[in-house]
Amino acid sequence: MKGIAEHRSILRFEKVKVFTEQGGSSETIDYEMSLFGGDLALINLERPRLGSILADACCGLYQAAEGSIFFLGKDWSALPSDTANALRGKIGRVFPFGNWINRLTLLENILLPQLHHTRRKFAALRDEAVHLAEQFGLPGLPVGLPDDVLRADHQRAACIRAFLGQPALILLEEPTLGVYPEILPPLINAIRNACDRGSGVIWLTMEDQIWNDPLLPATRRYRLTARKLMEVIR
Amino acid sequence: MSESQEMAVNLDSQTAAKKWTGGFAAMIGQWAIQRVRGLIQLISIAVAVIWQGLQPLTWRRTVRAEFFQQCHLVGLRALPFILITGSLVGLGMVYQAIYWLDVFGQTKFTGPILVIVLVREVAPLFVALTVIGRSASVILVELGNMQLDGQVRMLDAQGIDPFLFLIVPRVAAVSLSMFSLTIAFIMFALVSGFLMGNALGYLDVTLQEFIFRILSEMGLAEFATIPLKASFIGFAVALIACTTGLSVTRSRSDLQAALSRGVTKSVLAALLISGLLTLLL
Repeated sequence: MKGIAEHRSILRFEKVKVFTEQGGSSETIDYEMSLFGGDLALINLERPRLGSILADACCGLYQAAEGSIFFLGKDWSALPSDTANALRGKIGRVFPFGNWINRLTLLENILLPQLHHTRRKFAALRDEAVHLAEQFGLPGLPVGLPDDVLRADHQRAACIRAFLGQPALILLEEPTLGVYPEILPPLINAIRNACDRGSGVIWLTMEDQIWNDPLLPATRRYRLTARKLMEVIR
Repeated sequence: MSESQEMAVNLDSQTAAKKWTGGFAAMIGQWAIQRVRGLIQLISIAVAVIWQGLQPLTWRRTVRAEFFQQCHLVGLRALPFILITGSLVGLGMVYQAIYWLDVFGQTKFTGPILVIVLVREVAPLFVALTVIGRSASVILVELGNMQLDGQVRMLDAQGIDPFLFLIVPRVAAVSLSMFSLTIAFIMFALVSGFLMGNALGYLDVTLQEFIFRILSEMGLAEFATIPLKASFIGFAVALIACTTGLSVTRSRSDLQAALSRGVTKSVLAALLISGLLTLLL
């Protein structure tokens, strides 16, 4: 059974301890979690920085001091850098503050990971991005530089980038920041579609209204404190 | 003061002197170790850039797009400036050479002198200074800002290796652009010098003959020197700009210090490479 579970899990934290340092004090966070295809894990954060640490750990950027983090059955710490980078291409992520390359247009920023990791034609990628843009309530793809685009559109564009190319894992760090509640219906719709395709989704939030929203199709709920990631049953 | 007190004072001053000497030596030692360590790090990054640059898989479409964009910014957009400076240097240097050699009846040395002074020495260094001031500093600030704003981390999180996406195409583009701009600079300088000399009546040859005279003075060493100097200097300057920019991790004030450090290192590297290749070739 364990073998099957290992094979099917998208992301698995196995007795993981991560050391973090902030303001001169160090903390150890324990993670124990498995995410399968079709799962939406909603994680309530005690502090915003904890979300970035967990998201980085999911991407294999934060090395575990103890235990192992498996993505698609592969241990991040055992992978050579080029394989790890290729695997990160299967992760879509909404960063908390957009994080755009300023000299590239928003369109180029959205398409960049897919253009880098895949050989899909530019036109096909653009069409998929246009379709996602319409889903997220944009009249089309924003082609201006990030600084010239409204902040609300940044967040929608970040969602387009995260869902583009049907990634295996989607990490959403405060995806509703500044666009709540209007982005919720299209976002939930996109999450449902991704889960139906077999992707796993992790939604990190500090917002109580998100955590308590009955419409969210969360299959697992967690609370992340400065010490531990704990599963919560509701 | 008693004898024992005097001895104690002497011993104290000796200990202080030893401490000071030891501290000074340690400081120099640490400085030297840091410099050597930095140089080894730079050389290892240079080897990695060459190695990755030779791998076909490195040149995926996003990296190619970066390369072409940098070629446009560093090479093509600098061309008007090189046209002006090359022409001005040509007016000054080529015209002076033609004029004074004509005065002394030594016009047969026009070719060799221009080849040695302009083609081998002045052109690569002048273009290097232009590239450092115009492009390498921009690259350094751009990458420093990307590092400070978390954009480099974001690239990493998306599986886009910053080394491949940011450093390799920039180093390749600056190396190629340096070579192209040096050739353009030499051409503009020679043509403007010829036009000036011809207009004032110091030359009685056609442009074709003038260029041919200079080219005939160029041996294998000269033909090798131009591309080697230009591309090596471009490589070093871009590498220093990229690594210095990406080393900024704390604040914007660090970036200012890094900019001045990067420009100084780049100028020094350009002079060293130029001098070394002049000695070798």
